[in-house]
Amino acid sequence: MIFLFFLLVALAPPQGRPLSGTALEQRTQEVSSLLRCPVCQGMSVADSPSTVALDMKHQVHDMLARGYTQQQILTYFVQSYGQFVLLKPENRLIWILPILILIAGAIVVVTTARKLSPPATPNPPPAAPYVDRVRELVNRD
Amino acid sequence: MNRTVLIVGSAITIALVAVLFLGLGKDPTAINSPLVGKPAPPFALTSLGGQRFDIRQLRGKPVIVNFWATWCVPCYQEHPVLVENARTIGGDVQFLGVVFNDSEDKINAFLRERGSAYPTLLDQQGKTAIEYGVGGVPETFFINRRGVIVAKFVGPMTTEILQSNLSKALQ
Repeated sequence: MIFLFFLLVALAPPQGRPLSGTALEQRTQEVSSLLRCPVCQGMSVADSPSTVALDMKHQVHDMLARGYTQQQILTYFVQSYGQFVLLKPENRLIWILPILILIAGAIVVVTTARKLSPPATPNPPPAAPYVDRVRELVNRD
Repeated sequence: MNRTVLIVGSAITIALVAVLFLGLGKDPTAINSPLVGKPAPPFALTSLGGQRFDIRQLRGKPVIVNFWATWCVPCYQEHPVLVENARTIGGDVQFLGVVFNDSEDKINAFLRERGSAYPTLLDQQGKTAIEYGVGGVPETFFINRRGVIVAKFVGPMTTEILQSNLSKALQ
């Protein structure tokens, strides 16, 4: 039953039209360029000469020829390799979150810095005996 | 005020150090498999002897699936461990070797020289390896009686690692 469930999920019917010829080769290259080669350093499946990447590219080619859409193919690989396999993560929060954290950090720093700086206080008026003493010294000359 | 800043600063620093400390000793390139806890992808492959082998026929028995190749150096290291354990507990646990990106001649020579105790299946064009999210060999999957992957191990297998992961499959 469990195996049957997986089979149904993994092999959903193709939702696109089968490709062939130049269009198939072009789309294979495009979709492969969205997938990360799992044994390389930051290379796409389209660019990597490794055997694993070549197998993955062949699988992309095969699925496009059978009519699977780009999204279906990406989902198929994510099921096996996780989000890691996508060169452009689907979750947009990954792009937005660092900016939000940076803004929140800046707000914390500015607020803390304002609170830490001593408040500006007006100079206290000079004491009367001091002023009298200064006047006395000035008038003596 | 200074006390508040000190407490907040200390809390952030301690949290950061704790996160970095927990990462020590971990392989930064190791990726958790999304398949752990999920049903094992079904496959039907041909063995070296030409026999068709369907993993769905193994329901009710724990299965250890080892992806390997003759061009993989760590696979030479782990092979005796797998063979020895298969000979010991092979009656209760099904061991399967899945070879990808390799030639039958090389696989036969490897097994003749180093022994064999369980079926060796041929994964043409690495389709099964892709469905199991295999990046490099060796990688070993532990599947419980209900057909669910309970653990994945990347790297050369040892008896301790095998027993530790197998205990999860036996639960």
